[in-house]
Amino acid sequence: MLKKAHSLLLLSVALLLFVLSACGDADSDSNEDSNGGSNEGETSGVDGDKEAVTIDFMHLWPAGVSAGQNKIVNEIIEQFEAENPHVTVVQEVLENEQYKTKLQVVSSSNQLPDVGMTWAAGFLEPYVKGNLFAPLDGLLENGFGDTFVSGTLEAYAMDDQTYALPLELNIAPIYYNKAIFADHGLDVPETYDEFLNVVETLVDNGVAPIALGNRDRWTGSLWYMYLADRIGGSEALNTAIDRSGTFENPKLIEAASETQNLVNMDAFVRGFNGLSNEEAKAEFLNGSAAMYLMGSWELPNFTTNEEIPQEFRENVGFFKFPTIEGGDGNIDSWVGGPGVGLFVAENSDVKEEAMEFVKFFVEKWGEQSVTGAGVIPGTAVDTSTLDLPQLYIDVLNELANASNITLFADVQMSAGVAETHLNMIQSLFGNEVTPEEFAQTHEEALSLEE
Amino acid sequence: MEKATETQTTAMLPKQKRQVARKPVLTRIASGILYLALLILAVVQILPLIWLFLFSLKNNQEVFNLAPLSLPAEPKWENYVKVWTEGNISMYFFNSVWITAVSVILTVLIASFVTFAITRMKWKLSKLVLGLFMVAMMIPVHSTLIPLFSFFTSIHLMNHPLAIILTYTAFNLPITMMILLGFYYTLPREIEEAAIMDGCSIHRLFFRIILPITTPVLATTAIINMIYNWNEYVFVNTFISSDKYKTLTVGINNFIGQYSIDWGAIGATLMISILPILFAFFVLSNRIVEGITSGSVKG
Amino acid sequence: MDKVMSNKKIIALYVLPALLLIITLVYVPIVLTGYYGLTQWDGIGERTFIGLANYSKLITDSLFWQSAFHSFLLAIFSVISLVAYLAVSLVLSGKIKGANLFRKIYLVPMLLSSVAIAQLWIRIYHPTNGVMNRFLESIGISNPPLWLADTSIVLFAIFIPIIWQYAGFYILIYYAALKNIPESLVEAAKIDGATPLQIAYKIKVPLIASVIKVTIVLAVVGSLKYFDLIWVMTEGGPNGASEVMASYMYKNAFKMNDFGYGSAIGFFLLLIALGVTWIIRKLTATKEEIQY
Repeated sequence: MLKKAHSLLLLSVALLLFVLSACGDADSDSNEDSNGGSNEGETSGVDGDKEAVTIDFMHLWPAGVSAGQNKIVNEIIEQFEAENPHVTVVQEVLENEQYKTKLQVVSSSNQLPDVGMTWAAGFLEPYVKGNLFAPLDGLLENGFGDTFVSGTLEAYAMDDQTYALPLELNIAPIYYNKAIFADHGLDVPETYDEFLNVVETLVDNGVAPIALGNRDRWTGSLWYMYLADRIGGSEALNTAIDRSGTFENPKLIEAASETQNLVNMDAFVRGFNGLSNEEAKAEFLNGSAAMYLMGSWELPNFTTNEEIPQEFRENVGFFKFPTIEGGDGNIDSWVGGPGVGLFVAENSDVKEEAMEFVKFFVEKWGEQSVTGAGVIPGTAVDTSTLDLPQLYIDVLNELANASNITLFADVQMSAGVAETHLNMIQSLFGNEVTPEEFAQTHEEALSLEE
Repeated sequence: MEKATETQTTAMLPKQKRQVARKPVLTRIASGILYLALLILAVVQILPLIWLFLFSLKNNQEVFNLAPLSLPAEPKWENYVKVWTEGNISMYFFNSVWITAVSVILTVLIASFVTFAITRMKWKLSKLVLGLFMVAMMIPVHSTLIPLFSFFTSIHLMNHPLAIILTYTAFNLPITMMILLGFYYTLPREIEEAAIMDGCSIHRLFFRIILPITTPVLATTAIINMIYNWNEYVFVNTFISSDKYKTLTVGINNFIGQYSIDWGAIGATLMISILPILFAFFVLSNRIVEGITSGSVKG
Repeated sequence: MDKVMSNKKIIALYVLPALLLIITLVYVPIVLTGYYGLTQWDGIGERTFIGLANYSKLITDSLFWQSAFHSFLLAIFSVISLVAYLAVSLVLSGKIKGANLFRKIYLVPMLLSSVAIAQLWIRIYHPTNGVMNRFLESIGISNPPLWLADTSIVLFAIFIPIIWQYAGFYILIYYAALKNIPESLVEAAKIDGATPLQIAYKIKVPLIASVIKVTIVLAVVGSLKYFDLIWVMTEGGPNGASEVMASYMYKNAFKMNDFGYGSAIGFFLLLIALGVTWIIRKLTATKEEIQY
């Protein structure tokens, strides 16, 4: 027994020593690194006539799953470092949810990375109000601002100042499986009645019409938004959110009840309220559901993604959400908008370099993102010079012809109201609230913010 | 409960020769049923591991379309290749091992000290201190992120492995102590009385007698701590920015994209990360049993 | 003897390392959480002190009480499941062949991270392709439940993996406790003619009573602040049907940018856990045991 105790003691001592040595080691390492890790910027060493600086860049495009994006990011950074030898760009990559949590945590101590990714409107607002993001209007001079698709910059603006530059722009068409449509003699619907007919035919033949993963809730919001747009016109929802209108607008209530009508017709896959978007997408990709309303970020899956059978990819088409008879909507009005954009931290010690980097990045990104990563950038794309799959060209043309793009409702709203909206969407789809209650709850949440 | 204890009864019967002689057939049937139940339970418990292995050999299409326990037409070993070559998984692996090991040893040792002082030594504030430790168990982790972040920033420990080691130790101390407590209360007082009479110092008593006879529970808490630390990701993601200090759980980040997730690669990452802990678990788990031999000395 | 065992220096030496760690890394956040709960703060910009406004909102917030109710349900189910874990541990600690191997296998799921467990159970509960519904359909049930999409069963559907996830944890603790019982006591009882069932009930269980009490507290506190699987599998949905206190706290603090209110929920959760623990202590206290 004593022998055992002895060895245990020895073991723990040995391990503690290891701890101490490892920590000491780490300590010396992190001294150089902590300069990069925080916002202080490096002041060590002189390179040429400029002091060496480090830009911290936090983003959410890991090499593993976003290989295309990641490769472009690294190339741009290399080019930037080559042109600015005194600058080193250090990346930190996190996945979506961890990224958002970390952004908030580091903000609380005013420790934002020099450059990072943000979402538009409602997400951006508290950071701007907290004076954490630097205005980027200076960058937009000399014509650079004109290279962006009109309306995209506004999504990142508050009080006439722009706080981030968009890297992505998406619209949400309804993708459909041509083979399933052909099997049942269906044509692409141009009016809502034809669309309902498609749904009915598919249900009668035992095919799930629409893949929807409403556990994520913004997915169901897309359907409601389109119905609101086609019934009430593109301003109905926007004005309800910015308080110049109301959710109790009869047209919006009609949109909510039409949503429930679709649910009651069994238009959506079984158990949609418990499915994630990933699971719903799988049902569309394996041909068990005929339609899927989703952002144009899914295009790689229908064109270049080798993992998905070619036969399926060739069978995917898209159509615009059909117009509703008697409604005020325009078929060229879309739900969509810019996704992530780049911000510069207001208290960055290397603000000048960070600004330059952001401008450089957005320019280079715009040149390569569609071909290299399948991402439609916020800057205008010239389709005639690029070799792209037809589906991309079609979507880009639709984008060019769009009469209006309504920003995703949960992005437009402040975080608190967005949460109410998303919960209400899930309840609406679950038939747990009436369209009137749906409208009323939105009104209550919005009026609290005023 | 009823059923389980009943079967337990029969489990022990064969050992008792007199009873076996009395009703051999019934016992044999009962013991057969018991073994069958144990076997079924064992299969159910081992299936998740097999599922995870098969999961790691599929691509997204197969993950969603095939039955969970079916083998894909072509096992996608490339998932493992991808995991090993993209990202710094070997470095994460090394970090996971040493950070977990250090935290576990620190926690178990420090918790043993306190538990010993609280249960075996006499001082006025012992109950209050024990209460302090118990309350510390009740705070939800996410409430502590912002305060801890600003604390570590202010003492320049941000992005330093010590930040997570100390956090793991502090947050696992209460639960480790709770488990230890239950055992320390059952230790007979005579042991230390005898030791002190013999002129043994307290340190000697603690290291030479108390720690060895609590080996089973030390192994238990070590296993629990190890699992917690090994699988933890919220603190690492928040407190560590540089790749060189990140741990295995962070490797999953590499396969969760903005709009899509590479499930097969996540499966492979999880599979790689479970192997060392499985090994460590089997080793430590034996200490629980070995403990009895030394434990029985105390009689 | 008493003199040696009340040596102040040694007590300080043994207690202070842990106490220092806990106070700086756990108590400072607890106090700050309490303070943030008294402010209006999005976690990003300026903080304004608003007194008890968040708490008065909390008292009347039906969504919070709904989530608290769910957390309490989980606590009750967790405590009930302890009985089953104890039974399994009693069987395994008996002298049966292969007990050692069985025990190790039973604990394997505990090693899996929540990410893996969530993915497994999401596949099991899938409304059309899921293992569960495939099975139900094969035995002729034509309209099997929607599990995670059905607001009336989602909570219970999610309790099953949570309780299963912790099986290994408690079996491990009970097993170690049972193995710690001196053989001589059991042998003595056998010689006196006690049946194994009597040995289990009258000797083994009372001997590990202090461990059982600890596990009850652990199960209750753990359940009240439980977060992981719920967040990955449903995010508290559909429409709050599987919301628990910790997920509601997280949602308010990090998703709705109401860090002040989120902190108030976190602090209140702590108070609830404290109160419940105190009640458990009172209920399970016995005279000869040291009360703590």
